[in-house]
Amino acid sequence: MNDPYKILNVSPDASDEEVKKAYRTLARKYHPDNYADNPLADLAQEKMKEVNEAYELIQKQRRSSASSSYTGGYGTAQASYTKRSSSPLLQQVRAALDRGDVAAAESLLSQPQEHTAEWHFLMGKVSQRRGWMDEALRYYAAACRMEPGDGEYRAALEYMQSGGAGGFRPQGYSVFTTGTDDCTRICMCLACTNLLGGGWCFCPIYY
Amino acid sequence: MFGYVRPSFDRLNEAERARFRAVYCGLCTTLGKRYGFAARFILNYDFTLLAMLLSTGEDDRCKECRCAVHPLKPCTVLCENDALVLAADESVILAWWQIQDAIADSTLLRAIPYRTAAFFLRRAYKKARVLRSAFDAHTKAQLAMLSALEREKCPSLDRAADTFATLLRGTAMHLADETQRRVMGELFYHLGRWVYIVDAADDLARDVKSGSYNPLIYRYNIQGNTLDSDSRTMLCATLDHSVHCMAAAYELCGRTHYHAILDSVFYEGLYAVGSAVLAGTFRKAPRSRREHHRKNGKEETR
Repeated sequence: MNDPYKILNVSPDASDEEVKKAYRTLARKYHPDNYADNPLADLAQEKMKEVNEAYELIQKQRRSSASSSYTGGYGTAQASYTKRSSSPLLQQVRAALDRGDVAAAESLLSQPQEHTAEWHFLMGKVSQRRGWMDEALRYYAAACRMEPGDGEYRAALEYMQSGGAGGFRPQGYSVFTTGTDDCTRICMCLACTNLLGGGWCFCPIYY
Repeated sequence: MFGYVRPSFDRLNEAERARFRAVYCGLCTTLGKRYGFAARFILNYDFTLLAMLLSTGEDDRCKECRCAVHPLKPCTVLCENDALVLAADESVILAWWQIQDAIADSTLLRAIPYRTAAFFLRRAYKKARVLRSAFDAHTKAQLAMLSALEREKCPSLDRAADTFATLLRGTAMHLADETQRRVMGELFYHLGRWVYIVDAADDLARDVKSGSYNPLIYRYNIQGNTLDSDSRTMLCATLDHSVHCMAAAYELCGRTHYHAILDSVFYEGLYAVGSAVLAGTFRKAPRSRREHHRKNGKEETR
């Protein structure tokens, strides 16, 4: 294993509190929630594992003298789609999504079948994995219209409507989004920053 | 590209601003050295950020030099490295095909400025095409696909954006390490998607007036030349998702000494630009902004 302090991006002289803070920041960064239906979820899971192991190792090394105790790492569980299914074909789609095989899931969904609420929901999942966020939102909305009481569909739609809000932001960055009015003010401020060599003449901002 | 991808300069300290400026000037110098003076005019922030993302952080030697824009005060310029060369080559190819696209879409008279630009850029493009033949073919194919979708007035925002997103994903195809290729590919995909949608939002009023294709018109059934409140909310959410996906991919990249600049792009700058575009304040008249800026500058110095 690499140097655990390097993985947590702290100095070996860092206090227990500093180590814990660095660990928590990285755990928030690589948390599965931050990579829901993301094609890079497996890489984030590996990073999470690495961070957990590094923290555990440091805790072990320090246990004799330090009062803090390791309370278990953050989970690395991935979203699973194998919960339930109304048809064997859609069950296979869920299994393909679990494997991360989006092409297979899409091919199964394109076979002739009734377009149920679950079909729309799974089409939404496929779209989301491909980065087609607007299509995903429309499929989830259709699933919710057909089965308004379903919690799984509702949660997926709400997540899409949130624009992924709640994702990781480093310390000091507030949680504003494209829809936040304050952004405009910040942007005009940054656009007016006289950055490039003290002159506006060659600055692409002005063109 | 379009100059939408920019850091949040207020977040950066003087050293970080100087670092950004060095890369920007470095890309300009690299374009000039490799492709001649005319190629310097395609310089923009988007490819400056691309150079930073592709930089390994190892080759960051700088030099002092003067140029036509800064003839008196020498600037600190990043010396030519692999990332700058790649960004320069690819920006020439992309600019060329975007000009060709504009020529094809314009009437004979309106195409004159584009034909003039193509005339000055043709030698640069011929050189870049040989050096990056795979990216050239990829760009040409994706833009042709986009043109076809525009002709058939594609109502799917994602399908139209996918062509430009896939085009930009091609920027990562040369990377040898598979993990890095995946991470950068995902980041560039969403960067392309975001840029395409923001550009569509920026051009909306003009396209409605001229009757040109704009995916937002068909996606949201726009009446008049602005988005209604519900459509705007949905558009914000889809833009936010792309920024979030970019940030998630960026978090898996190794930290280089550009991390403060890149943090400000992915955690603030992109949201701010998207918001300003939707509010219609992104492209204020340059003259009035300059005057406002000068006035503020004078007040500060008093």
